Amino acid sequence: MTAPDPRFESSFMDDYFAEADEHLLAIRRCLLMLDGVERPDPSSALLEELFRSCHSLKGISAMVELHEAEVLAHHMESCLRAVRQGETALDTANLETLLAGANALEAVIVARREGQPLPAGEQVIAGLRGMASTQVDDKRFPSSESAPVRSVRSWKVRFVPSPELVGRGIKVDTIRARLLEIGKIVSVAPEVLASGGIAFEFKLETDNEASLAASKGDGVSYEPFSPAEAALVPGIAAGMDLPSGPRAWEVTSAAPGNFVRVDLARLDDLMRLAGDLVVTRSRLEDTLRRAERQMPSREFRLLQEHDLLMERQLRDLREGIMRVRLVPVGEVFRRMPFVVRDLARDIGKRVTLEITGQSTEIDKFLIERMMDPILHLVRNAVGHGIETVDRRVAAGKPPDGTIRLSASTVGESVVIEIADDGAGIDLAAVARRSPKGVHVEDGTVDPRLLLDVICESGFSTRDEADRISGRGVGMAVVRSTVEELGGTLEVDTEPGRGTRFAIMLPLTLAIIDAIIAHVGDQTFAVPQSAVQEVIEVDPDKLRPLEQNELMTHRGRALPVVRLARLFHLEAAPRPRLHAIVVGTGLSAVGLVVDRVAGHREIVVKSIADPLIHVAGVSGATELGDGRLVLILDVGAMSRGVRERPRVGERSA
Amino acid sequence: MRTILVVDDSPTIRKMVRAALGGLQDVAFVEAGTGLQAIETLAMHPVRMVVLDLNMPDMHGLDVLKFLRSHSQYRALPVMVLTTRGDESSREEVLEAGATSYMTKPFSPNFLVSSVRELLDTTPDSSR
Repeated sequence: MTAPDPRFESSFMDDYFAEADEHLLAIRRCLLMLDGVERPDPSSALLEELFRSCHSLKGISAMVELHEAEVLAHHMESCLRAVRQGETALDTANLETLLAGANALEAVIVARREGQPLPAGEQVIAGLRGMASTQVDDKRFPSSESAPVRSVRSWKVRFVPSPELVGRGIKVDTIRARLLEIGKIVSVAPEVLASGGIAFEFKLETDNEASLAASKGDGVSYEPFSPAEAALVPGIAAGMDLPSGPRAWEVTSAAPGNFVRVDLARLDDLMRLAGDLVVTRSRLEDTLRRAERQMPSREFRLLQEHDLLMERQLRDLREGIMRVRLVPVGEVFRRMPFVVRDLARDIGKRVTLEITGQSTEIDKFLIERMMDPILHLVRNAVGHGIETVDRRVAAGKPPDGTIRLSASTVGESVVIEIADDGAGIDLAAVARRSPKGVHVEDGTVDPRLLLDVICESGFSTRDEADRISGRGVGMAVVRSTVEELGGTLEVDTEPGRGTRFAIMLPLTLAIIDAIIAHVGDQTFAVPQSAVQEVIEVDPDKLRPLEQNELMTHRGRALPVVRLARLFHLEAAPRPRLHAIVVGTGLSAVGLVVDRVAGHREIVVKSIADPLIHVAGVSGATELGDGRLVLILDVGAMSRGVRERPRVGERSA
Repeated sequence: MRTILVVDDSPTIRKMVRAALGGLQDVAFVEAGTGLQAIETLAMHPVRMVVLDLNMPDMHGLDVLKFLRSHSQYRALPVMVLTTRGDESSREEVLEAGATSYMTKPFSPNFLVSSVRELLDTTPDSSR
C-alpha cells in the first residue's frame, strides 16, 4: 500500500516546520482581517487564501505523518468550504471556532517540534464539526463584491517569457507580483502561440498605467479593453484583493522569492570569523608599523596600501554579514494585533493597535530577545494604560484607546516605541513606592527616576498584574534585557494623556570603531560614534564644582570626569592630559585620560559575568596583544556626572 | 538525460519528491511552485514528464492539465497528478482531465519511484 517510510519523511521535518509556520501565520492574518468584516463575501479572496492555507497544511502534515495536524486542518478546510459555498455564515462565534482551530494546530505542531506529547484536540474538532454542519437559514448572499464600484480602467496585459528574461530574473511570477501591486488581476490565462511558444494574458484593473508602461521592456505588452469582452473570454479567476484603508497590512506577494533558509548558528560562526579577521588585521598593522624602519620605503608603501585595501574589504565583509542577520521588525510586530485583541476582549476594553515601520531592519538575535519585553510593554499598555470605555468617555476621549507600536532607524540605533493614549502611569502608586519622589525642582517628573521606580522588582500598580503580565516578565526584566543588548529604555508619561516607552537598540553588533585611550596602565576604548572631539587639557585649568570638575571649552563650561579617579587607577601626574568629549549639548562630558592612542576597529565581547559588572563599562575587547581593554559606557558616563558619581564602583 | 518537472506549491513536498526520485537513472529536475510557473518552465525546457500537484495559488492543477491537453505539443506529455488524501477532485475527474496517472499524498517514496519508473518506461518520449 502507500504506507510512507518513517525514516524518509523524518529528514524533512525542518522544512515542514518552516513551511507550516508560514501557513499558520497566513491563517492567523486572514482570520484577523476577516474579523473586521461584517458579513464576509463567500467569494472573498481572503476566504480563498484561508482555505488554501488549511489545505496546504493538511497536505504537508499528511506527508510527514503528523495525523493530528492533518485532521485539524482537514476540519478547518471543511468549515471553510461550507462558508465559501454559502452554507455557513462567518459570524463572530464561528470565527472564534476557527481561531481555536488555528491555535490547536499550532499547539500540535509546536509539541511535535519540541518532542512533547501532542495536546488532545477533540474539543476543538467537535467545535469545527459543529460549525461545518450548521446551515444558514437565510441563503441570500450578496453576489457582487462588497467593495464600492470604482471607475478603474481595464487592460489586457500580455507577457511572453523567454530565456533572456529568465536570465534577468523576470518570470511570470515576477510580472504577476508587479501587476498585483498596481491593481487587481481579474483573470489570467496561458496560451500557446503560433510559434509554439507560450504567452500569458492577464486581465488587469488599474488606474496606474505609468507603472504598467514601465514593464514594457520586460516582455510585457498591453492594451485597454472593455469589460464587456471579458464575458466572452474564458480565463482562470485569480483575483487577490488588497484591503484598502490606513489599517491595511503589508501583503507579501505570492511569488516564491529567491531566498535561502539559513541556520542562525552558521551566521554566528561567520560573525566570529569576521571578528577574528579584524583582530588579525590589526596585528598585521602593528607589525607593519614596527617593520617600517627595516624596510625600503617603496615596499613599505605597497604593504600599507594592501593593508588599507584589506581593511576596506573586511569592513564590507562585516557589513555584508551583519546585513544577512537583519530581519524586518515586522516579524515580531505581526503577533501583536492578536495579543491586543485577545487581551482587550478578555478585560472588556476597546483598543486599536497602529503599527508603523514594520520593514525596519534589526539583527535577528536582538529581535528574538526583544519579543518578550515588547509583548510585556504592549500588554501593560492594554491592561494598565488604556482606561475602560466608561472612563474614557467621561474624560472626553474617544471610547477606543489607541496603542502605537513603531520602529525606525535613527543613526546607528533602532528605536522601538510603544505609546498609548491612556491614563498615564499612576504617579500616586509610584509616590507610595518611592517616598523621596520622582519629581524635580520645577515640579515635572524626572523620567529616569520614574523608570527606576517602575523597574524595581515587585512594583506594580494593580493586583491584576499577574493576569495582565502573563508570563511573569516584569519591567525589571524588560530593562535588564534591553541593557544587556547594549540598548536603553526610556519612559515618558503624562497623567490623563498617555505613556510612551522608547527602546533604543544598537543597529549592529559586535564590531565598532573606537578611540583607544590609556589611563595609567589600563587601556580603554570609547565608541567612535559617541565621540565629538578629542582635546588637550591643561590640568591647572580644571575648576572643581561640587563633586565634579569643569573646564571651559568653546566658550562653555564642560564637565569632565577623570577616568583615573573614577576607576581608581594609579596615574602619575602629567603636565598635559587629553579629554575625549562625548555627548552633545547639555549632556556633553569630557573624559580625561592620559593619552589618546588613535582609533581602531574593535570586536565587542560583552562582559558575560554579571557578578563582575562594573558600572560605566559596557563591554570588553582585546587589541591583538592579548590584553583586555574595557569599553566605556558613554551613556553611564554622562549620567554619572549629573548624579552622585557612584560610577566606577563595583555593584553587588 | 530525462528532465522531470516537479510542480507543487509546497517547497517541502518538492524536496521530498526530488529526494525520492533522485535514485532513478539519468534524471534531472526542474521545479515550479505555481501553475503559471509550471507552464512557463515547460515552454523553456524540454521535459520528459511532470509531477503535478493540484492545489496551487494562481492556477489550479486541473486547469494546468486541461491547458496542456488542449495543445498538440503537450498532449502526449506524461503527467502524474498528486492529490491530497480526502481531496475534492475525484479520481475520475483527474483522469478525465487527462492525467496519465495519479498518486495520493502521503505517498511512500518507494511507491512513487516505481510508479514514475513505470511511467517513463511505458510512455513515448515527447520532449524535443
